[in-house]
Amino acid sequence: MATASKSRRAAKPSPRSEPPLLEWISAAIGLACALVAIGFVGWDALTGERSPPEIEVRLVAVTPTPHGFVTQVEAINHGGSSAAQVTVEGVLSGRGEPETAQATLDYIPEQSRVSGGLVFEHDPRAGRLVLRAKGFADAS
Amino acid sequence: MDANAAYGRALARAFGGALLFSFPLLMTMEMWSLGMAVERVRLLAFLLLSLPMLLGLSYYAGFEPTFRLKDEVLDALAAFGVGFLLAAVLLGVFGVLGQSGLSFRADLGKVALCAVPGAIGALVAGKQLGEGAPSAHQKERAGTPGEIFLMAVGALFLAFTVAPTEEMILIAYQMGPLQALLLMALSVLLLHVFVYRLGFPGESRRREAGGPLRTFVGFTAPGYGVALIVSLYLLWTFGRTDGVAPHEIATMTIVLAFPAALGAATARLVV
Repeated sequence: MATASKSRRAAKPSPRSEPPLLEWISAAIGLACALVAIGFVGWDALTGERSPPEIEVRLVAVTPTPHGFVTQVEAINHGGSSAAQVTVEGVLSGRGEPETAQATLDYIPEQSRVSGGLVFEHDPRAGRLVLRAKGFADAS
Repeated sequence: MDANAAYGRALARAFGGALLFSFPLLMTMEMWSLGMAVERVRLLAFLLLSLPMLLGLSYYAGFEPTFRLKDEVLDALAAFGVGFLLAAVLLGVFGVLGQSGLSFRADLGKVALCAVPGAIGALVAGKQLGEGAPSAHQKERAGTPGEIFLMAVGALFLAFTVAPTEEMILIAYQMGPLQALLLMALSVLLLHVFVYRLGFPGESRRREAGGPLRTFVGFTAPGYGVALIVSLYLLWTFGRTDGVAPHEIATMTIVLAFPAALGAATARLVV
């Protein structure tokens, strides 16, 4: 044990000296990271609203393909808590029977946007398309 | 200048250690969703607790052979920075961060959650990857509170790698009460054998002098207690205990305490 500690002393020529500049710099960067993380999380914990998820579904683009009309949609959670397994449904009415397509989005954090797609047989641009979120699970 | 170069090498080692220790978590899907979903108050508590823990760990296994408080604080902060930056860079490379539409707070949550295991890795690396001798000098000084603290860090560290996964809950659901008791007995036995019987480095022979029963009561039992507490704390942090029946919480805690006990036992090998 004594020899081990002696060699360690020797490896560091002046144990009483000030820490090198690089140590101060890296510690300062670390402090900044810690402050950013704790600051933002703390601010969010104290001030964040806890309203239920409020999900708006928007049409982004329609692309005709040989396999149907691919309709890209965007779900925006305006509420104050996250939603999981969000079922997004689009009902296309117009000529004949209304056509329904749905998709499940895994996770939409609050104040965030997630995109997905619905596929219709008929052109959604020609009829009346109603998009909405049908349900969700609470994010654990 | 020379001191700066030496510190630079230590810092590079710290990054290596952080990488080795935290990449399994960075590449686990549950960590990303938990980073977004964990209740902010619990994440805040976790981050605030992690700083004194890093400080204590720096005292026992810093990446610089020092004893002074100023250096411990600098080391702990630098380690947090290493873990944080590494998590940010790697998650960014994996395409987890900056997905269009996800808010900044979601990204920050992911990085902050992954930063802590990285920071532990950064501190431990000083000893594990270093060319110098292990800090036998410091370990010798670790009294009972020190040993308990190191066991807690080891338990936290190993339990953390599996705590976020769904499997912990699934295993708890699959196990009956008898199996839970069996797993508990196995955990305690392994903890005892690993630390005091197998002759790994860091085994405390000093304590063995008091007789097997005293060793068990004095160290193995507190070690398992620490493993249980750490497990319950992690489950609570990750929101796994919310609305769950008490006996299921107990089973989950026992399941997670198995890796935690192994971590507590091997803490003295790693840290």
